[in-house]
Amino acid sequence: MRPFEYVRAVDAGQAVALVSADPDTSYLAGGTTQLDLMKDGVLRPARLVDVTRLPLSGVTSTGSAIRVGATTTMEELAADPVVIERLPFIREALLLGASTQLRNLATIGGNLLQRARCRYFRDPAVEACNKRDPGSGCAAITGFARMHAILGTSDHCIALHASDVAVPLVALDSVVHVQGVDGPRGIPLTEFYRPPGDTPHIENVLRHGELITAVEVPLLPEGARSHYLKVRDRVSYEFALTSAGAALVIQDGLITSARVALGGVGTLPWRSWEAERVLRDAPATRETFRAAADAALEGARTLPGTAFKVDLAKRTLVRTLETIAGARA
Amino acid sequence: MTAIIGAGIDRVDAALKVTGSANYPNDVAYPGLAHAALVRATVAAGRIRAIDTSAAEAAPGVLTVITHLTAPRLDRGPMTLLGPSPPAPIQDDRILHHGQHVAIVVADSPERARHAASLVRVEYETVKALLDLDDPRAEVTANPWNLDTDRGDVAAGFAAADVVVEGTYTTPDNTNNPLGLMSTVAIWHGDSLTVHDSTQWPHNVRTSLAKIFKVPESGIRVLAPYVGGGFGAGLRMWPHVILTVLAAREVGRPVKLVLTRPEMFTSVGHRPHSVMRFKLGATRDGRLMAIDADGVSPVAMEDDDYEPVSLCAATAYGCSHVRTRDRQVRLNIPCPGSMRAPAEGQGNFGLESAVDELAHALGMDPLELRLRNFAQADPESGLPWSSNALRECYRLGAERFGWSRRTPQPGSMREGRWLIGYGMAAVSYPAYQVPCQARASLHRDGSAFVRSAATDIGTGTYTVMTQLAAESLGLDVSRVRFDLGDSDMPYSPQAGGSGLTGALGNAVHLACRRLVGDVLDLVRDDANSPLRGMKLDDVTVDQGRVHRVGIPEQGEAYSDILARHGVEELSADGRSIPPRSEDLGMAVAGAFGAKFVEVRVDPDLGLLRVARVVSAIDGGRVLNEKTATSQIVGGTVGGISQAMFEDTATDRETGRIANATFGDYLIPVNADIPDIDVIFVGEPDPATPIGTKGVGEVGLVGLAAAIANAVHHATGRRIRTLPITIDQLML
Repeated sequence: MRPFEYVRAVDAGQAVALVSADPDTSYLAGGTTQLDLMKDGVLRPARLVDVTRLPLSGVTSTGSAIRVGATTTMEELAADPVVIERLPFIREALLLGASTQLRNLATIGGNLLQRARCRYFRDPAVEACNKRDPGSGCAAITGFARMHAILGTSDHCIALHASDVAVPLVALDSVVHVQGVDGPRGIPLTEFYRPPGDTPHIENVLRHGELITAVEVPLLPEGARSHYLKVRDRVSYEFALTSAGAALVIQDGLITSARVALGGVGTLPWRSWEAERVLRDAPATRETFRAAADAALEGARTLPGTAFKVDLAKRTLVRTLETIAGARA
Repeated sequence: MTAIIGAGIDRVDAALKVTGSANYPNDVAYPGLAHAALVRATVAAGRIRAIDTSAAEAAPGVLTVITHLTAPRLDRGPMTLLGPSPPAPIQDDRILHHGQHVAIVVADSPERARHAASLVRVEYETVKALLDLDDPRAEVTANPWNLDTDRGDVAAGFAAADVVVEGTYTTPDNTNNPLGLMSTVAIWHGDSLTVHDSTQWPHNVRTSLAKIFKVPESGIRVLAPYVGGGFGAGLRMWPHVILTVLAAREVGRPVKLVLTRPEMFTSVGHRPHSVMRFKLGATRDGRLMAIDADGVSPVAMEDDDYEPVSLCAATAYGCSHVRTRDRQVRLNIPCPGSMRAPAEGQGNFGLESAVDELAHALGMDPLELRLRNFAQADPESGLPWSSNALRECYRLGAERFGWSRRTPQPGSMREGRWLIGYGMAAVSYPAYQVPCQARASLHRDGSAFVRSAATDIGTGTYTVMTQLAAESLGLDVSRVRFDLGDSDMPYSPQAGGSGLTGALGNAVHLACRRLVGDVLDLVRDDANSPLRGMKLDDVTVDQGRVHRVGIPEQGEAYSDILARHGVEELSADGRSIPPRSEDLGMAVAGAFGAKFVEVRVDPDLGLLRVARVVSAIDGGRVLNEKTATSQIVGGTVGGISQAMFEDTATDRETGRIANATFGDYLIPVNADIPDIDVIFVGEPDPATPIGTKGVGEVGLVGLAAAIANAVHHATGRRIRTLPITIDQLML
């Protein structure tokens, strides 16, 4: 690990000023991924600005939405009464992620910014990684692709966005609030991430030094049912091969409102408007769910190691929707 | 005598371990301790064209950087019980595998050493690496261990068979991954040397270092009182130990090296992948007529490993016509090495899957097919077994499991959306023992100290040897201290091959018996002793006393005898010699086992869950019910891991291990492991005085096949490739 300087921020303004002024300075929140990447030599910041003591933690409700402070931990959010009552698939997604120990450290802001789990990105002994070293190539495309994306990929990168909780968050049209040197702004989560294209090292629209302060999450309408299903290689403490987060309102057998996002398959948390279009105003039947799943995976691009994920993702989404419809019935 | 043996007493080292007081090699600290970090090759084959250490040498706190350019010439370690020693490291510019050590950096802190190691710049001249078993350029050795079997007439056997099944089974590379990262601390004092090491065999480290560094064995002391697991990774003295000792000599300070988890994948061996073919023929009534098996595994370019994967086919069943063939292929890979149940772990998956396929083809219950082919005598020698309770394993295991509830048709048992499958497998584990020594001392207060340079890699050696010594001396376990893990103690072989408990146990037993004999010698002419003139067979020992058999009043306490004769301490040595079948007229048996597994499969999402496991084990005499059970439970977890999770992935292009972290290399978590039921059956094995058969490996073997067989029963899908993953089970 490269030696680095540690600064504990006294207020958000100072933190933003420090990081914005120096491309070699980064924020430190829970550190659950960042410190690993530093130890492995993937990230080499000269200075870390610790934001965990800033007053950015806690969940407040506005009646139609909740505002989640950026340093709220995953466990804290999962335990929030409004989340339990009105946004249960967020709780499900949170509790299926990481481990209790990690969830007690990891923050919501940090979760959204977690880096790829790609084995080739995470080992600097691998030369070809466009995300780590722009223009160097992609070893994952010729290597072992399994925990990799099949949607939103490019010829330059197939790394997955592995967050669970970002799946329901993106389905809900959450808004990321950030503070920069030029003041605050809100960014819809659906527009927050950038697909890899030919610049996979740029993962989101944040400017260097912009600090996530909160995530605003609209509540589901009354009568909505939601579910998050995660399919993975072991029962616990593992990232998703495929996952689906969905919320439906079903009236008299007809779907009147649908929100769908997929995990484990996208280079970003994958909102599926295609699936939502198929579901909306359609009967809540297995045929509809299958059609929605087909639509969701329409543009998938696979490699030999990820080919099975198309079918698995469809089955995962169908099971999720069936579970919601079944719970309703 | 109270039953000390077999009692499930708590581990004698339990309190130390749970309070963090057990001193593992990576806990060892010395004043002035320096820390080492390794630089590893990032190509799999070629040469080092240039190596630039200037930035590393200039980094803060760095004491030295040693490369092949600056290292002294070192001899290769000696031939050992387990084969040749690994080649000495950093002796030339050649790269033979990705991850090969190319330099060692020593600094005043671990962080500084690691940082400096990252600053060493190496340029390589690469050649196309040999990474594939099928590469036509690779050197193939037929019959590498001279263990290929030809029994009877296999062609005639198949000709007489009504049903023949044949399948190709593959297993992946698995990496041992004990929780404790392998660590070495080396301190030179002139020409003498102390080494703390995560070894399963301290004497081997001593012998090897003496040869390599050309110093007398008498000046080397190797300490391994606690080892954070091994699973075979600590059987050989791997090159990183040599580098640490070299570095300590170079800097004139104690040096510690703790391997990182990624380094564990390339530095201390692994279970090599295998491709196996098993062909079985049987009569319609299920009599095995012929077995034909072959297997191939890789080995490193200039090192050796023992993996006769097809051999298990020769000894598992009573079958007159058997042919086994093994081959080994040299590749540019880190050297494989023994991993818990080497060869058996792979071979049994193929063999026991094939037996299940045969049962299915015959329309016969897999348990019944195995019972019909029980080997009444050792198939190789024809000698009767010293002990073999495999049929009791079948019967009692099946009863406990509820095997009779199994309906034969695949897919015929379900609960909701879950398909249920019952599967089983048998294990005949080979016997293994080598000579071992122990020393027992009686103190004046009548307490005893017994020791041997063995190791306890989590297996319970401290505890069961304490029990054995207590029984042999007639002492309460609280009056006996057993110590190990120090090469200054009497010679012990490795903790491996399921052989240590037998070898060491018999040595401890012999030492203790001899010690009692020496006590009797003291009073041979002692007019004041009620034991005067008695022989060992005339007496028994109990509660710190020696007395005449059947007459407790005619005896006296050890402490009284020693005090009266002015003896401060009495010591005796024991040396066990492995039993030989030809001397006994019996085939010395290893452990046997029958494994029964229930799985649940969600065929839509490809989910596989192991719901229940029953392991019925014949391990001979069980010395401690708790630690023996723990061995089987741990082995079962390892077997589930082999079946469903572990898969060391090597990039085909670069030879780099692509998943050398616990984030990417999956092992089961608690939630993957069901209740594991263990029953012990059988009797003490008469081949040795203590009657135990090792149970270190029999727990793992059979799980992979039993799970695959259960998956077939649940789904009708035959999985011949491990691990069994979601993508194979989406129906």
